[in-house]
Amino acid sequence: MNEELDSQLSAMFDDQLPPSECELLARRLSRDEQLKARWGRYAVMGAVIRAERGVRLNAPLAGRVSAVLLAEPALGAQSVAGALPRRGLRWWQPVAAGALAAGVAAVSILWLRAEAPSSVASLSARLTTPAAASGASVIPASARERGGRADSYVVPPSPAVPAIVVPSTELANYVVAHSMFSSPVARRNLLSAFMTSEPAAAGAEEPPDDVKSAAQ
Amino acid sequence: MSADVSDLSLVRRVQRGDKGAFDALVLKYQHKLVKLVMRYVRNPAEAEDIAQEAFIKAYRALPQFRGDSAFYTWLYRIAINTAKNAVVSRDRSPIEYNIDRHDNDESYDMQGRMKDSETPEGLVLTDEIRTTVNAAIDALPEDLRTAIVLRELEGLSYEEIAAAMDCPVGTVRSRIFRAREAIDHRLREVFEGGLGRAEELG
Amino acid sequence: MSRARPNSGALLGLTLAWACTAALAEDAAGQAQATVPAATTPAQKKTSPALTPAQKTSPALTPAQKTSLALSPAQWLERMNHALTTRNYDGTFSHWHGGHVEMLRIIHRVQDGNVSERLVSLDGSGREFIRSGANLACYLPDRRTVLVEQRPPQESLVGFPAVDDQTASFYDIREVGRMRLNRRDTHVITVSPRDEYRYGYRLWIDASTAMPLKTQLCDAHGRIIEQVVFASLALPVRIADASFRPEVSTLGFRWLRTGTAAPLAPAAPATSAWNALRLPPGFRMSVRSAQVLPGSNQPVDHLVFTDGVASVSVFVETQSAAGAQAPRAQSAAVGSSSAFSTVVDGHKITAVGEVPLATVQFIATQVKAQDLVPAGVPQR
Repeated sequence: MNEELDSQLSAMFDDQLPPSECELLARRLSRDEQLKARWGRYAVMGAVIRAERGVRLNAPLAGRVSAVLLAEPALGAQSVAGALPRRGLRWWQPVAAGALAAGVAAVSILWLRAEAPSSVASLSARLTTPAAASGASVIPASARERGGRADSYVVPPSPAVPAIVVPSTELANYVVAHSMFSSPVARRNLLSAFMTSEPAAAGAEEPPDDVKSAAQ
Repeated sequence: MSADVSDLSLVRRVQRGDKGAFDALVLKYQHKLVKLVMRYVRNPAEAEDIAQEAFIKAYRALPQFRGDSAFYTWLYRIAINTAKNAVVSRDRSPIEYNIDRHDNDESYDMQGRMKDSETPEGLVLTDEIRTTVNAAIDALPEDLRTAIVLRELEGLSYEEIAAAMDCPVGTVRSRIFRAREAIDHRLREVFEGGLGRAEELG
Repeated sequence: MSRARPNSGALLGLTLAWACTAALAEDAAGQAQATVPAATTPAQKKTSPALTPAQKTSPALTPAQKTSLALSPAQWLERMNHALTTRNYDGTFSHWHGGHVEMLRIIHRVQDGNVSERLVSLDGSGREFIRSGANLACYLPDRRTVLVEQRPPQESLVGFPAVDDQTASFYDIREVGRMRLNRRDTHVITVSPRDEYRYGYRLWIDASTAMPLKTQLCDAHGRIIEQVVFASLALPVRIADASFRPEVSTLGFRWLRTGTAAPLAPAAPATSAWNALRLPPGFRMSVRSAQVLPGSNQPVDHLVFTDGVASVSVFVETQSAAGAQAPRAQSAAVGSSSAFSTVVDGHKITAVGEVPLATVQFIATQVKAQDLVPAGVPQR
């Protein structure tokens, strides 16, 4: 078992692998069934953590798509309308805080709230375990591991550190508190909506025309 | 905006004719897509069919994908479109009642199955998978568990997690990897153990 | 008018399981006065004569039919609210909003003056809301979080918006007809807003039990925004405690608790600081309180404004230093309800209510710290 390779796979799954290594790993991934299976299990783990109920976790969906694609013509270089620009994105570059905040404001999302980086400490403080429910327990700051691996990296403190998106239990509290003062029907509707509310991904509006026509 | 370098490298491979790379994209996003589609259709089997259709459409439309948006955003829009079309075509748009003063016998025609469509077996396997993963997560050391939960549940980047956990990014990467390894140690059993029982046939 | 079309839109893939027969049986056996509400308003007393044994068994007109002929639309709303808050019931319903549908189950019990209720998402998130006496918990498995708080038990008696004479200025309340819904006789009541500050309702109220079998929320143009339809509904005499326990396993979840909320005070003269300078027409303050919300230790001022049908809560809290860099104005939607928050003088003001976004925005931006204005007096 190649631990370095597997560690790269994990990082690539999280979109945190440098572009150059991505190219290499993508090639291996597309050919190696074992690697693909592991990658698929990473996705299953994520689905369980997000408690995506009602979704079958062992669905043969991927196999079916693959089977259908066998009959499809391979996409050739000549059919690419315009090659994807190489962005030269460095994976450790933070997203501009303004852009993220704008994205949040544009879509009314129940669960997103941009918080300033100085509130990171409060974020840590909120990650309690049941055993420590009586008071907020802070994740013990582990000793910094310096040196060692070549890809160790410490985020430099800078005013442009991105806003951290955390779930807003605050709005949930307001909704519940308010529900006690609504009419019974309104209350039932409000709590039902709250029970079923889903966070929408940014930009999840109507697709632009080119995608529409392409997707038919 | 997109930092989805890994998706882009897979997409580029697909655009150059590597279908295997598309498998990886399907594996990564299938649950999210099915979950999304289930906001429009309740029936999980139907949702899987629609998700499958969406993936195929995405593959065919991939030559037109330029990377202006993140791949998943683009895929997401296709899925919504596909789901909406499926719903509309089956006349399942919500009811608008015109109320008049006559007595009307409104009979709700209850088509379809009462339960979710999963066969009891499929349900058991999904439950087993879920239980296995949850048990493995609970058994993790706290720093590993925190790292992977912040990544998968909150969607934080490695450097955001590093800030939250007050450690270097490399440590975050290592912790998440080790968490996955520990979970996979048990999960592999379910997927590969015995006669490959977790693989549904067709 | 579309009649008897397969309307599977709101009830996808479900077998209808009406417990109407059982419900009627329970009505007769368990609560002999089921058709005569226990409410004590003079209006109801006038129209609900005591039943003789002969009348109870009369085949010609059921007592329900007799009494139901005589009620005004507003009285039907009152009966409905009474049923929802005092009866035991256990049902499943579809909740439609924004193009998608989910199924939920609701269980409600009133026993010795204690209210227990549980709302469960049957698909999707698996979230649960459980209230039992003073304890209230929200189980959010998709966030791996549980919100727990205590609320003073007398809160359930504080009251919710009630239709009064003033309400008629802002809503047109009328009965538009009778309709049979899944073999149940219902009165169809519409509550139409007269302006765009508020929403309207269409309610299909069961003539016998006064339960709302179907509810539509509409905007000022009559467009349906939200719909709830019961797929099954039973009114059992007894509901076991076990029905109010959560199904979700909370292993590994984080728990956010709060201490006992401060007791409520009715709207008092404004000795305290916060109030709305102006309100949309028809809105008046009904409650003012302070409480501590789960996960924080900061007291939050809670004001409630109502127009008799809709209500809007305003929460005022001191802005933390960390939150000072948050966006100044944020809005959100929870189903058809709206939320809007803004920051004023180092305080975060959030308005939440079952009204259009513009209304909560208006109210939130009107809330100011003041010492002199009496409570509940909207200034024009």
